[in-house]
Amino acid sequence: MKHARRVTQGVFLVVFFFLFLQTESKGTDELGYPVKLFIDFDPLIFLSTILSSHALAAALYLSIILIVLTMLLGRVFCGWVCPLGTLNNIIGSMKRWPPREKARNWFRVKYYILFFILTSSLFTMQLVGIMDPLSLVVRSFSLSIYPAFNYSVNAALDAAYKLNVKGITTVADYVYEISKKTVLAFQQPYFTQGVFVGLLFIGILALNLVERRFWCRYLCPLGALLGLLSRYPLLKRTASEGCNACGACEYSCQGNAKPGDPGTWMPTECLYCWNCDDMCPRDGVSFRFSIKKAPAKLDLGRRKVLASALAGAAAVPLFRATPVFKSGYPDPGLIRPPGALEEREFLAKCVKCGECMKVCTTNGLQPTLFEAGAEGIWSPMLVPRIGYCEYKCTLCGQVCPTGAIQKLAFEDKAKVKIGTAMVDRSRCLPFAHAIPCIVCEEMCPLPKKAIWFEETRAMNRDGKPVEVKQPHVDLELCTGCGICETKCPLVGKPGIYITSIGETRSKENQLLLGSRESSPSL
Amino acid sequence: MERRDFLKAAAAAGVGLAIPDKLNTLLHAATTAVTQRIDLAICHGASPAAITRAAVDALGGMRHFISKGDVVVVKPNIGWDRTPEQAANTNPLVVATLVLMCYEAGAKKVKVFDRSCDDARRCYVQSGIPLAAEAAGAEVSFINDRKFKEVAIGGERIKSWLLYTELLEADKIINVPIAKTHSLAKLTMSLKNWMGVMGGPRGRIHQGIDEALVDLALVIKPALTVLDAVRILTANGPTGGSLNDVKKLDTVIAGVDQIAIDSYGATLFGMTGNDLGFVRAGARRGIGTMDLSKLSIKKIEA
Repeated sequence: MKHARRVTQGVFLVVFFFLFLQTESKGTDELGYPVKLFIDFDPLIFLSTILSSHALAAALYLSIILIVLTMLLGRVFCGWVCPLGTLNNIIGSMKRWPPREKARNWFRVKYYILFFILTSSLFTMQLVGIMDPLSLVVRSFSLSIYPAFNYSVNAALDAAYKLNVKGITTVADYVYEISKKTVLAFQQPYFTQGVFVGLLFIGILALNLVERRFWCRYLCPLGALLGLLSRYPLLKRTASEGCNACGACEYSCQGNAKPGDPGTWMPTECLYCWNCDDMCPRDGVSFRFSIKKAPAKLDLGRRKVLASALAGAAAVPLFRATPVFKSGYPDPGLIRPPGALEEREFLAKCVKCGECMKVCTTNGLQPTLFEAGAEGIWSPMLVPRIGYCEYKCTLCGQVCPTGAIQKLAFEDKAKVKIGTAMVDRSRCLPFAHAIPCIVCEEMCPLPKKAIWFEETRAMNRDGKPVEVKQPHVDLELCTGCGICETKCPLVGKPGIYITSIGETRSKENQLLLGSRESSPSL
Repeated sequence: MERRDFLKAAAAAGVGLAIPDKLNTLLHAATTAVTQRIDLAICHGASPAAITRAAVDALGGMRHFISKGDVVVVKPNIGWDRTPEQAANTNPLVVATLVLMCYEAGAKKVKVFDRSCDDARRCYVQSGIPLAAEAAGAEVSFINDRKFKEVAIGGERIKSWLLYTELLEADKIINVPIAKTHSLAKLTMSLKNWMGVMGGPRGRIHQGIDEALVDLALVIKPALTVLDAVRILTANGPTGGSLNDVKKLDTVIAGVDQIAIDSYGATLFGMTGNDLGFVRAGARRGIGTMDLSKLSIKKIEA
């Protein structure tokens, strides 16, 4: 069985990475692959999103399949499917373990984490994405591991090209062409928190060297939820009467499910890896369908359950009594992608998976740190100096698993303002320095451009008049896409920049009389 | 006249095939001297492919410009995430026809690329150019940032700049711009299309655009330029987006002299070459001829 499991794990990991690599524009309006499929199957995100937003994305109903499957078969997802579980498995097997290594008894911790997350969700604060394993693994690869991988391949190729030796250059060309078509990103991605997100992920993987599947056994809230669902599984482990409690299985158990004694086996902790079956010197272990009660009960302790739930509730005011939640005090730099819900609703749905940032064609979507408060960490915001919102692109809404960013047709997206551009007259070349420049207007993608010119004569130092076109922004037309800021030739601090003011999704964050007060939010 | 020109060109081309390369060039020079010189061929007609072919043929055919075994770069405008109907990028059929004609003239390889302004993937797909050009046999590629090289230009505004090596290494270059409005240059046509092979912060050239464009022409010398005016963008260029700003002219203008072409192109918008700073600058600096009355212009229906 071990081989069957490993092959299955490998297949799912390959599918996961394949879908991950497809989370990239090919220039067409749609991606053509269900790239968020793994998250669609995630019952933890399903449950916490229902709690936090009292609504959910239709695709998440797929997670009901996993719920039913877990109730019947136990945590097979953890043992056979989960990409983070498989990675943990791989890292854990890299260390040579001393025989009879004793496991910790911390398995309850993950349940307390789960109760904390779900209670805070109930009070509308969506923290699930921080520790949900699928969200975590997509985010870590999107923002950190994959950009680093790209960087290393490109750096190696650059070094090869620099040698400028005919044979090496030819090989480098060949490698470049192949990798460009298969695993490399179209352009090197850069993310503001790559190091932070990456180190956390590497830390989680490194925990496998402390104890195998440390994350899965003690920390994973999805594992905890699946554990609760598998309290009474139909598929059960049984040991034959010949079992002399030799303990061989105990040390090969991936989930620390205490299989050593038939009476202590915990179905909620079992990952159905089948190692105990393979290891048993007497061939006494088997997994069978039965409706008999499982031997060991899951005892979490009523007080601790209550305490973790209370902590989850208490965290909500703690996280929210910050100026971000002060009325009429929006962060001007918090430019959300087009289709993003009103900020509160958005935060209630965003699970920080990073799919939108991975797919963003210009690399402009970056993870927040505290711009949206602590609870909004790693949610997407547009940083136009890094990349703008491509006028006809609607991919971020297509890949968002929870509908925090709505899926919009181009015609609808074109009407959405994510912010407004303003000219900094103290830097803009035609205003401040009598130097001609029209790049912002040239780039403006609107059929009727939102940037218009005042043709005037400015004076240069010699007192000579210079004809310049000074840009002005049409506050009604401008959608805040930010291409003007991205392409402004003033590197560093631009001469034209976007802030979130005027964004369609907000009723408060407006500036024009009569512009949005009465219009419904998107 | 027309038929005689055609026959002479055809004969020259036919003979050329049988003769080694260097002689071939000599012979070409000789035959063009004999043939009545045509500076600009303006061809009008419903089929973009047919008018492109007819315009180039009127100039002596592709063999006049391309030699056997040449590696050719055909450089369209693929700058924007727009469809052909929106007239922000070069017409794909005009591009594909030129690619095809290069191969017919014996080109070894024809390359097509542009450094887009919007996301390159979207520009390439929406423009329809890669699809059409690849069908004609072209090698279409995205810009590879490793392939820019600092080139001494020694112009009035640009002393040196990063230019695309695939262009610099080509045997022959064909420029295929589209005619559109532009708020600073007024119009963007042949000369401005070369911004598409500039690396680095090219937006800065707007600070002295007229001279800078002529500076580029000092080092980038296309063997042939075909200005696409099948559709032109009359407002909100160079990006466009509204079909109300598109005017269908069903025309291409072919020639060698980019200043002459841009000077003629201005007339499509009710202007003259003299209204365009870069055309004036080009004429003043001896890059080409602005005065249309000094050019031999041939108008053809196809």
